[in-house]
Amino acid sequence: MIFVTVGMHTKGFDRLLKKMDEIAAASGEEVVMQIGHTSFRPQSAKWFDFTTDAGIKEWCKKVRVVVTQPAMSILDAQEQGTPVIVVPRLKQYDEVIDDHQLDFARELEKEGKVIAVYDVEKLEEALKKVDLRLPELARDRKLVNALKKYIAQFERK
Amino acid sequence: MEAFEGHETFFVTYDSTRTRRLERKYLLRNIGTNPLVMAQAFLSTLRILLREKPKLIVSTGSEIAIPAFYLAKLLRIKTIFIESWTRVDRPTATGKLVYPVSDVFLVQWERLLSKYGKKAKYEGAIL
Repeated sequence: MIFVTVGMHTKGFDRLLKKMDEIAAASGEEVVMQIGHTSFRPQSAKWFDFTTDAGIKEWCKKVRVVVTQPAMSILDAQEQGTPVIVVPRLKQYDEVIDDHQLDFARELEKEGKVIAVYDVEKLEEALKKVDLRLPELARDRKLVNALKKYIAQFERK
Repeated sequence: MEAFEGHETFFVTYDSTRTRRLERKYLLRNIGTNPLVMAQAFLSTLRILLREKPKLIVSTGSEIAIPAFYLAKLLRIKTIFIESWTRVDRPTATGKLVYPVSDVFLVQWERLLSKYGKKAKYEGAIL
């Protein structure tokens, strides 16, 4: 089973959802989508627009792979230990205001934290290969500790 | 949330299926680029800050941080802004706007430091 999530973004992500719906039809694998503000309505995949935090986590846990935009949803999948394929939203398709998701996907891919797919035509192939286990991802303690340090400083003043 | 353990906290965020489940919260309408909603957000945020009187505001954006950080400056509330993890090379519009009024300004990629002034710091990222 595959979970596709496009988050809270105010723009739709038709390109990804259409392709994943095609893949659902062709492969027969169960695909569940959180479509957010996308206007396209999947035919072969199950879908809903939004759900709760717990709902997203549950779907991330149930599936063999999460397909999403490179954004905070990566953390939901990572918490459940599920591999992630990211597809950046692109400015040229009016999916986002600039191409920051493209930069971000490239960096995460370099660090081996996600599988990045830039052309949706390559999704099917990427989905077949996901069984390779991704390295275990751990939350960076540094940022949490830095915040604690600043909070303590402000308290003393 | 682990960073705030031992401190009383509340949320000011956008209304959504996910945020409605939060415990102590104030939910605002998504601002985006709508100036009218931004003006409403200034009023709501002012009311919230006067009522709650926080000592510190921490935000990762987006636009919702703008009224909070400018009002915090006026009300002498400390602020920490954390630029989005998704921003490797390009600063957000919100980041640029709140940079001058933030007490602490963090980015999650070292490369992004060059796009901001001296105050910006890199202290690691979420993952």
